[in-house]
Amino acid sequence: MATTRIGKKLKTIGFYAGAIALCVPPLFVFVWMILTGLKTGVQNISYPPEFIFVPTLENFRAVFEQYNFFHYLMNSLIIATLATVTSLLLGLPAAYSIAKYRQGRIGILILIARMLPFVSYLLPWYIIFRYLKLIDTYTALTISHLIITMPMVIWLMVSFFESMPAELEDAAMIDGCSRWQSFIRIVLPLMRNGIATSAIMSFIFSWNQFLFSLILSGPQTKTVPVAVYNFISYGKIDWAGIGAAATLIVLPVSIFAFFVRKSIVQGLTMGALKD
Amino acid sequence: MANVIVKNLVKRFNAVTAVDNLSLEIHDREFAVLIGSSGCGKTTVLRMIAGLEPITSGEVFIGDTLVNDMEPKDRDIAMVFQNYALYPHMNVRDNLGFGLKIRKFPKAEIDARVQEAADILGIHDLLERKPKELSGGQRQRVALGRAIVRKPKVFLFDEPLSNLDAKLRVAMRAEISKLHRRLGATIIYVTHDQVEAMTMADRIFIMHKGTLQQTGAPMEVYLKPANLFVAGFIGSPSMNFIEAKVIREADAWWIDAGEFKLRAPAAFDARLEPHAGRTVIFGVRPEDMTAHDPAAGAGGGNTLTARADVVETLGAEIFVHLTCGALAIVARMEAPEQPLTEGQTVDVDLKMLKTHVFDKETSQTIV
Repeated sequence: MATTRIGKKLKTIGFYAGAIALCVPPLFVFVWMILTGLKTGVQNISYPPEFIFVPTLENFRAVFEQYNFFHYLMNSLIIATLATVTSLLLGLPAAYSIAKYRQGRIGILILIARMLPFVSYLLPWYIIFRYLKLIDTYTALTISHLIITMPMVIWLMVSFFESMPAELEDAAMIDGCSRWQSFIRIVLPLMRNGIATSAIMSFIFSWNQFLFSLILSGPQTKTVPVAVYNFISYGKIDWAGIGAAATLIVLPVSIFAFFVRKSIVQGLTMGALKD
Repeated sequence: MANVIVKNLVKRFNAVTAVDNLSLEIHDREFAVLIGSSGCGKTTVLRMIAGLEPITSGEVFIGDTLVNDMEPKDRDIAMVFQNYALYPHMNVRDNLGFGLKIRKFPKAEIDARVQEAADILGIHDLLERKPKELSGGQRQRVALGRAIVRKPKVFLFDEPLSNLDAKLRVAMRAEISKLHRRLGATIIYVTHDQVEAMTMADRIFIMHKGTLQQTGAPMEVYLKPANLFVAGFIGSPSMNFIEAKVIREADAWWIDAGEFKLRAPAAFDARLEPHAGRTVIFGVRPEDMTAHDPAAGAGGGNTLTARADVVETLGAEIFVHLTCGALAIVARMEAPEQPLTEGQTVDVDLKMLKTHVFDKETSQTIV
């Protein structure tokens, strides 16, 4: 008895030690970022680093006033929303037909498009979009983000659609639905969790996307990750500004993810465990 | 209501022929049961009638209308699925009303029909519940209700009772029969359970390997099976099949199984004669065997002697697994006052008029 109790305790201690060891490095970076945003420029380059200091919100104010950060936040919001909505509109029917008609090969093709190094898209896209006079437009940025968000929607949703009993649709078709009606009135409502998960993931990935936005955006459509990059200039690196801006970028998605974490976990594991 | 006619129906899945040139006619208001072992194509036939499965070739008529190219929704049918297929995100009321709502019935009409179906099935208390809050039997009722509210021409049932426990199945069986009488509907019911077929059907359609083996009223297929398959499929425990020779002796036809010899009734004479000297399959149902009555004496030509290997007691009756040389025979008889002991030698009388003889090559019934 005593030995098993000790064993249990050791196990618990081991579990938490492991969990902490895994969580500390990424959390430290996160905390460091926030601290950087709360320090002055001088405090940021002092060595050894200061952990106890009087925090200042000056950097946050500067980010909004000097750099027009609100504009970039809106850009990011608009583009991430457009990319998410478009990839759901196109991706849901695509995933449905891949699942329903066993079009695994098309699924693989979409996956390959996603796995190609993004750099390889840059040059052709730049040329095409410039030719179409779409550089520095929401259209170009949204389309480019689709290469990331749509495969995600499709691959997540295929497993969701596959897990749905076919009889439900049969019943709907006999009850009087056309195929589209049964898709919209029966299938989609049952896929709520999956749709929520893929929408959230799409939004986050588009929000964080840097490379395409860097090349295809301009003064009008610059997104927040690119704006932060502009804090690095030839002369100096505005660490305090970067810290404040980065905190502002991470904050909305973090809060968002915190509230929907349950549905994300459910969504990501659901296809794996058919009931 | 309407009749359903299927003409030369074929269904191929790649190289596999699931339904092979099947023709059948189901009358208006008839309770038709399609039965066969799993993989015989019965569900595929039902799904083709429903329009859920494309037809390779052949024709399906509902009423007088050729429905081959019609969408399921335009065929005016309702279907009850094995796993109920209730819409999980809707409560029972919405599940029942969905088919009417999508067909744009007025709200008052929908409410009235849902109410009526709930009355018939006794599911009033469940109307606001979600399917996951219902037991198997309740789900089955809701699935039935969803079919009833539509008042379709034809009801299609795809093994609706196979997910229920034995007791509930008996109850639902009676309920579906009652429902059939009450609605006067044409019903096509697919099952692999011969008890369901025997108890509910007006006519049974027996399928095997994608082809129709026999059609008839339950007692007709039981008493006069068309071939070996039907004879073995209908009845429980199944009919005993014994390879035997037809021989002529002492002015009578005899079935000679080697281990025993049985005298065929005179009524069999004409049909046995062409098979004189040939090997046939002799069939006797377990329930057509009784413990030998000593008063009848020996020499009736209908008695065989065997060893009782296993005796299964079911209360009023017993199943006796007999061995007669190399032959294994099952008999189903009233429990005798003096219990049979295993290993005991018993004499068993056969009701010879109820036995069957099948052609060994063609499997068709001779007698």
